[in-house]
Amino acid sequence: MIAAYGLALGVLAGLLMEPSIPEALAPYLPIAVVAALDAVFGGLRAHLDGVFDDKVFVISFVSNVLIAATIVYLGDQLGVGGQLSTGVIVVLGIRIFSNVAAIRRHVFHA
Amino acid sequence: MTHLPGGFRKVDPDASEAPHIGLLTQVMTQTLDQDYASVARRRDPQVPDPSPRWRIGALSVLLVFGLMLGVSALTTDQEQPLIAAERAELIEQIEAGQSKLADQQQQLAALSDEVARMQSRLAAELTDDRLLSNRLTALGVAAGTIGVTGPGVVVTVDDARYTGAESGGVVLDTDLQLLVNGLWEAGAEAVSIDDHRLTSLTSIRLAGEAITVDYRSLAPPYVIEATGDPDTMPARLLETRGGQFWLDLKTNYGVQFEIVAKSQVSIPADLRDHLLYAAPRRAT
Repeated sequence: MIAAYGLALGVLAGLLMEPSIPEALAPYLPIAVVAALDAVFGGLRAHLDGVFDDKVFVISFVSNVLIAATIVYLGDQLGVGGQLSTGVIVVLGIRIFSNVAAIRRHVFHA
Repeated sequence: MTHLPGGFRKVDPDASEAPHIGLLTQVMTQTLDQDYASVARRRDPQVPDPSPRWRIGALSVLLVFGLMLGVSALTTDQEQPLIAAERAELIEQIEAGQSKLADQQQQLAALSDEVARMQSRLAAELTDDRLLSNRLTALGVAAGTIGVTGPGVVVTVDDARYTGAESGGVVLDTDLQLLVNGLWEAGAEAVSIDDHRLTSLTSIRLAGEAITVDYRSLAPPYVIEATGDPDTMPARLLETRGGQFWLDLKTNYGVQFEIVAKSQVSIPADLRDHLLYAAPRRAT
């Protein structure tokens, strides 16, 4: 419950305060969001599995975001940024789908 | 992973225990961070929550996540009209370029039409020019205002050599007139006597003892040059009245009369190249 509040508070803060992100980081925000989405769904699934751990969640979130952004940054430097972004999104997308499916099984028992 | 006798391999359902599975399979099956499981296994069920610090960290991570969601939603939203505007501007530029191109192609077509028209006019003018200058040349040759050179004949006549016998055997002006008229009949285009061009206004007269051409006295022998076909002119000349007359003169009076065909004779222009009395009538 507290987690949901935190999330909503963050969204509100983002929408209302309109913090400006540095121009150099702007291209990596979307991929970072997708990576964060993966970590958050993973955490939710772990919570439903009863194995949630705050430390693991924090570390997985931070490392997911950093690794995804780094991979895309590297790809940009090598001239294959678009392809690497696609690759990262495919892998994260598969993980998100699987985690959401597990969550669905927990919630609806189906 | 288990190796079956048949050589088949079976992927272990508990993928976290198998280090050598395919990349795609790993991505598909190992969707949850293994740390959750391992930490849960290590955790003592009696101790409920050992670290409130990490709870706060998790909360702040969620806060950051929300912030990221909000910001990226906002950015995308803000960028949309910008992108649309850029797109519209590009489309506008393309359309402007296309219409400019069409304009220029039209202009090009018009210009090349004009070029073709001017070229045909130039060709026509050149043809006119050439015709005119040809005509001018022909008229100039006929009137004697243009010096000419070309194949022709040279007729040399002279008084009879003095024999002490009868007088006579002297070339007279009428003889020369007949000879020149014979040359015109034989197809001469231009005639000169001793380098005096003969025109329609030239006189051949006897003045005292000497023959004058255009009022200038000449002395025998008289060299008459004429342009024309060197192959046929001598024969044609002899067929004319002048030619026959001169053959008679040669036989009966001993005057010299010699016709030589030449591949190149040069005849000067008549220096008088203007009309004294006549003026062209204006068309009314």
